[in-house]
Amino acid sequence: MKDIVKKLDRAFNPRSVAVVGDKREMDYMWLRSLANFQGRLYSVQIDEKELPGIEALGVKNYFSLLDIPESVDYVIVAVPRAVAPKIVKECIDKKVGGVMLFTSGFAETNTEEGIRLQEIITEMAREADLNLIGPNCVGIFNPRIGLCHAVDQYYGDGGPVGFISQSGTHATYFSLVGALNGIKISKSVSYGNAVVLDCTDYMEYLAEDEDTKVIGMYIEGVRKGRQFFTSLREIAKRKPVLIWKGGETEEGTRATASHTASLAESPLVWDALIKQCGAIKVDNFEEMVDTTKALLYLKPTTGARVGLCAMTGGQSVVIADAFAKAGLEIPLLSERSYQEFASFFNIIGSSYRNPLDISSNLIPMDNIIRCMDILNEDENLDSVVLELSVAFLTRIARFIPIFLDELIDALALYNARCNKPFLTILVSVHAETEAIEARQKLVERGIPSFPSFERGAKALKKVVEYYKSL
Amino acid sequence: MVVDEIISAARKEGRTYLTELESKQILKEAGINTTEIGLARAKEEAISLSREIGFPVALKIVSPDVLHKTDAGGVKLSLNSEEEVGKAFDEIISSIKAHEPTANIQGVSVQNMARPGTEVIIGMSKDPQFGPVLMFGLGGILVEVLKDVSFRIVPLTRRDAREMIKEIKGYPILEGYRGQEPADIAVLEEFLLKVSDFVERKPEIKELDINPIFAYSDGAVAVDARVILEAE
Repeated sequence: MKDIVKKLDRAFNPRSVAVVGDKREMDYMWLRSLANFQGRLYSVQIDEKELPGIEALGVKNYFSLLDIPESVDYVIVAVPRAVAPKIVKECIDKKVGGVMLFTSGFAETNTEEGIRLQEIITEMAREADLNLIGPNCVGIFNPRIGLCHAVDQYYGDGGPVGFISQSGTHATYFSLVGALNGIKISKSVSYGNAVVLDCTDYMEYLAEDEDTKVIGMYIEGVRKGRQFFTSLREIAKRKPVLIWKGGETEEGTRATASHTASLAESPLVWDALIKQCGAIKVDNFEEMVDTTKALLYLKPTTGARVGLCAMTGGQSVVIADAFAKAGLEIPLLSERSYQEFASFFNIIGSSYRNPLDISSNLIPMDNIIRCMDILNEDENLDSVVLELSVAFLTRIARFIPIFLDELIDALALYNARCNKPFLTILVSVHAETEAIEARQKLVERGIPSFPSFERGAKALKKVVEYYKSL
Repeated sequence: MVVDEIISAARKEGRTYLTELESKQILKEAGINTTEIGLARAKEEAISLSREIGFPVALKIVSPDVLHKTDAGGVKLSLNSEEEVGKAFDEIISSIKAHEPTANIQGVSVQNMARPGTEVIIGMSKDPQFGPVLMFGLGGILVEVLKDVSFRIVPLTRRDAREMIKEIKGYPILEGYRGQEPADIAVLEEFLLKVSDFVERKPEIKELDINPIFAYSDGAVAVDARVILEAE
């Protein structure tokens, strides 16, 4: 077992967890988040008036970590900052597997007191080789064992995506939005000020983690730049690594300083580093979700030639613009494809050059699949894209109620036999509620969908570039 | 070796800026082709050096105190005879004495006039987090106005070197746009790899600028260079 795995495995796969300082005014958020934790859960709280609330949750409370009658693998600390050194000391004495400090108010405040306290806990943890996560973060999410940091996170089964985030918000949001998009977490960690463990350590850990096939990172700053560079370069050869760098502008770096006390770094150097290491750069939350989805659900391709199928004429124009602007190619189809289209395709109100406009061919549904099959067979294409207009499909559902369900079932079968990457663009228009349902059904059948042409195009372009770089 | 001698000599004088002559000697040690260059302390020496190197030659002031050589009248180009070299030597010395009376003059460098080629630049500076970073771009106005440059962190692989050359928007110029002489990309890759290798071995170098490099269809030559050392 690699050293980093040995070092962090107890914290990421704990069998016992203790929460220090959870309280009613926070609705016991930590203990509640851990209601489905598969191991043993303890509370440490010295405030007598909090004890009935903790007891009501069925959690055994102790007055000190040291009183817990077994070893503790992972500790969550939510005490006021002035108490943090005392708890860190207890963690050292208890020889815990890892401690996460939710507590904030350290160097990120740029106050004398905050900086002093941060120096104290850093010094203590480093000297004792304590795995200190944070401070100023929400720590580890391991859904398989119900180790959650928010009450609305899922548990029971996990997925293939490891997520490392300097921000707790982005870690939480990515887990929640990811789940709606068929992206489930293997293990994630939010790590705040990174005073002891930094993103490099977590990245090296997830690189060794068998459940993790893709690594996503939100970074505001790194501490050991050279080690990060060397590690990323090695790891990105084995697993795709997506990097979203926060604080790319002068204005943004003002926020990173007060958020996680990170120093400003040149965006040009970051861009070069990401490219040089073979990692994938994403610029925002949506790109992180979309590109991860594309990596998980699209068959790998290095080809940029796309077959586009829209449901109406106006959309066929702008879908082509969007994919072309993203740097993809929309070639003419093969002669054989055109012959096949000519044999059945109604060209009145529609067209099939590429992009396709299938408006007057939508019914019967078999027509759509037939078109898609032709695109799959076409040797001029590397991938296939279908627009699903929810507004249009909802209108059809008024007279053919099962149309959408049957279409999605047929697309699932198509996706299975399609030997090119296949993706859908779910254009909700005004039918937003129906779009959410449709997306859910697509996710259940493993069909990737993107909410706009531009987002789908960008995600496809990014993964094509990634596979080309390998 | 020569590099360490140059560095320790500069250190002894309390300098972090190396002269063009010293910078080019360092580059030669790193395996990078530079213009032929020698130091003349007297007019006669300048004339005999120019005879050795072959006409036409350029003369440039060598002084750690003169940072803008051209502005101070310290550069004379395209000298075609011994007479011209002798005259240029005197003019440079008197111009520098007039412009910068306190400057410590080491002498005048004599170098061959490189045939003009496509101008490119290679630079190295240090990022506080990631260490030495190389920059590549087209020289002259394109780098100054358009910031058409690419970056890579040291150490570079051959692939990095190739990609950072191809990445600049002006790459078609290097390929020989509209019948212009193309640039020897393989040699530019070698330059980048050699600089990468060299600065990795010499952490005492803080900044390095080779500007311009003249790139030809068969080879390239560093025409001007500047090296800055880390403060001790």
